[in-house]
Amino acid sequence: MDEAEIRATFSKIIKTEDVSPGIAAIKTLMQMVKVSDVTTLQELRKTMTIATDYMRDMDYPAASISSSSELLLRFISLASLDGVAFSECKRIMIDRGQMFLKKLLDGRGKIAKSASKFILDGSRILTHSRSRGVLYALKEAMGQDKKFEVFVTHSAPDNSGELMKKELDKAGIPSTLILDSAIGYIMETIDFVMVGAEGVAESGGIVNKIGTFTIAMCAKEMKKPFYVMAESFKFSRLFPLGQSDLPLDYKYTSSVRKNMILDKEDPLVDYTPPNYITLLITDIGILTPSGVSDELIKLYI
Amino acid sequence: MSEAVPIDFSYIIDEIRSGTLSQSNEVALKTEEFVERIIAEKDWKNAQELMNLIKAEIKLISEALPLHTISTNILRHVLNIIREEYDIGFKSHVEQSLHQMMTSDSDAMGDYSKMLDGLKTSIIDHLSEYKTELETSIDNIAAQATDHIYTNEIILTFGQSNTVEQFLKAASRTHSFQVIVAENAPSYNGHSMAVSLANHNIQTTVISDTAIFSVMSRVNKVIIGVHSVMANGALKTACGVHAVALAAKHYSVPVMVLTHLYKLSPTYVSSYSFDACSSPASVLPYSFAGDIVSRTNIINPMFDYVPPELVTLFITYQGGNAPSYIYRLLSELYHPDDHEL
Repeated sequence: MDEAEIRATFSKIIKTEDVSPGIAAIKTLMQMVKVSDVTTLQELRKTMTIATDYMRDMDYPAASISSSSELLLRFISLASLDGVAFSECKRIMIDRGQMFLKKLLDGRGKIAKSASKFILDGSRILTHSRSRGVLYALKEAMGQDKKFEVFVTHSAPDNSGELMKKELDKAGIPSTLILDSAIGYIMETIDFVMVGAEGVAESGGIVNKIGTFTIAMCAKEMKKPFYVMAESFKFSRLFPLGQSDLPLDYKYTSSVRKNMILDKEDPLVDYTPPNYITLLITDIGILTPSGVSDELIKLYI
Repeated sequence: MSEAVPIDFSYIIDEIRSGTLSQSNEVALKTEEFVERIIAEKDWKNAQELMNLIKAEIKLISEALPLHTISTNILRHVLNIIREEYDIGFKSHVEQSLHQMMTSDSDAMGDYSKMLDGLKTSIIDHLSEYKTELETSIDNIAAQATDHIYTNEIILTFGQSNTVEQFLKAASRTHSFQVIVAENAPSYNGHSMAVSLANHNIQTTVISDTAIFSVMSRVNKVIIGVHSVMANGALKTACGVHAVALAAKHYSVPVMVLTHLYKLSPTYVSSYSFDACSSPASVLPYSFAGDIVSRTNIINPMFDYVPPELVTLFITYQGGNAPSYIYRLLSELYHPDDHEL
């Protein structure tokens, strides 16, 4: 597949299926493996790395694309079998890739189920921007006949919170759209905050839509729990010590980066350190922020 | 050994309910004996059947005694032991992690129904090691006392706990220090704790719960026991301990929690019931009530929730751990599939 095809496939998957850029990246790479005519493992890895670079270079948030592609590449290298013909290797990789993808998609259900236990009758939940993970959890709790209320921030500049509100309305969940600046005002009436994550750092902190850190700080001050829904493919080996340690392609889209003068640009994401996070609800279990690094170590040994 | 006594946990449940069996270590040992009997005497062919037997008992106990987690935790740990021995027997190692997801076949996971020779023996051997661990748990914790308590220190404790008592007595053999015991109204079990410590020649002072904040500035350490520990490192304790922990935080006094591993529960606060209340008569006697009772709500909560940020150190038989490490201890004790039963 050449550059144009990769970009086209990726965009198509994102637009037609409601999946995160990370999963779309994995699907695109799997498609590429299927149709590629490479003959060695080395070449395959190289083409996959280049394809990942193309996808990160598009105007989609790069955080989950990076971590999921790295995971798939890692997976490919673990799956390499010595002494087996490459065509056989390829077939095995495609099978395992499908299984891997299936497990990731099943993960969403697991997260929703775990998270719904924290939603009790009468809960007032604050969420930020649009997160599929949070949406599934809320729908799951709704399916369990629980009565609760959701507050969603508009989430400038793309106003994705409005899309979240539409989806909550469709699911019959009582919700209110609030101004981003009204977070401090509303926090005293909230029971807990639930957000998604675009990436989970090794420190246990998260990378998410800009404004998440502010909500986390408010929640900590007002002693409200802060829960994060994140699938395990979003775990990355990043260890930021501050906002400036986030890679540029996380914070700005590629078209903005070409501009070169980034100081005056608004970043897309921010980093929330682990001490502001109460629990991370993932498909490998409910983790405290200190537990994330353990899981990452298990993966990368 | 094989008397005609049926293998029935309801005897133990009755004893717990009536209060004749209340000390956590005794409950733990009785539960362990019960499990040994199930494994040795009941009919089972493979690991899956044995696990089903134990899961049925867990269900029974959690329905009969919803506030009692020691026995269910021990049974969960036994489930983990069974899985471990099974995996060792078949030399497979299945871990719930990203790595496992990527490299294993989905069919091979979670299948415990293959026959394995020597499984019974290896489980029973492992269990006898576990039994020794349970028997020596209090002594192992008490042996660490001299690491944490120094001469001329002032220790604050709350109410009555056997583990804390042994801990303090062990330290008093070599160091001389003072203990302040908060009486823990309305049960006042702090009084019996103080008498026991004083009889052991430890300088003891009893204070009312209201005086905790005012003495805290002079306290060097707070040492307490717990009812159970939650998965995020939070505590479920006797009512009143949250206030102690907050006062300690205010004065930067370390809070040390003595706990046995069977008190670690793999559940989070949402699934816990903190609504449990004991009789209001100890707060306001019926003789006083009269007119008042129809116009007042008298609450005597059994438990308190202490968030993990207020705890400095957990002391188990293995040593000291920070609250952020609890997830690790839990992953070693229980299998993720057994968390919700």
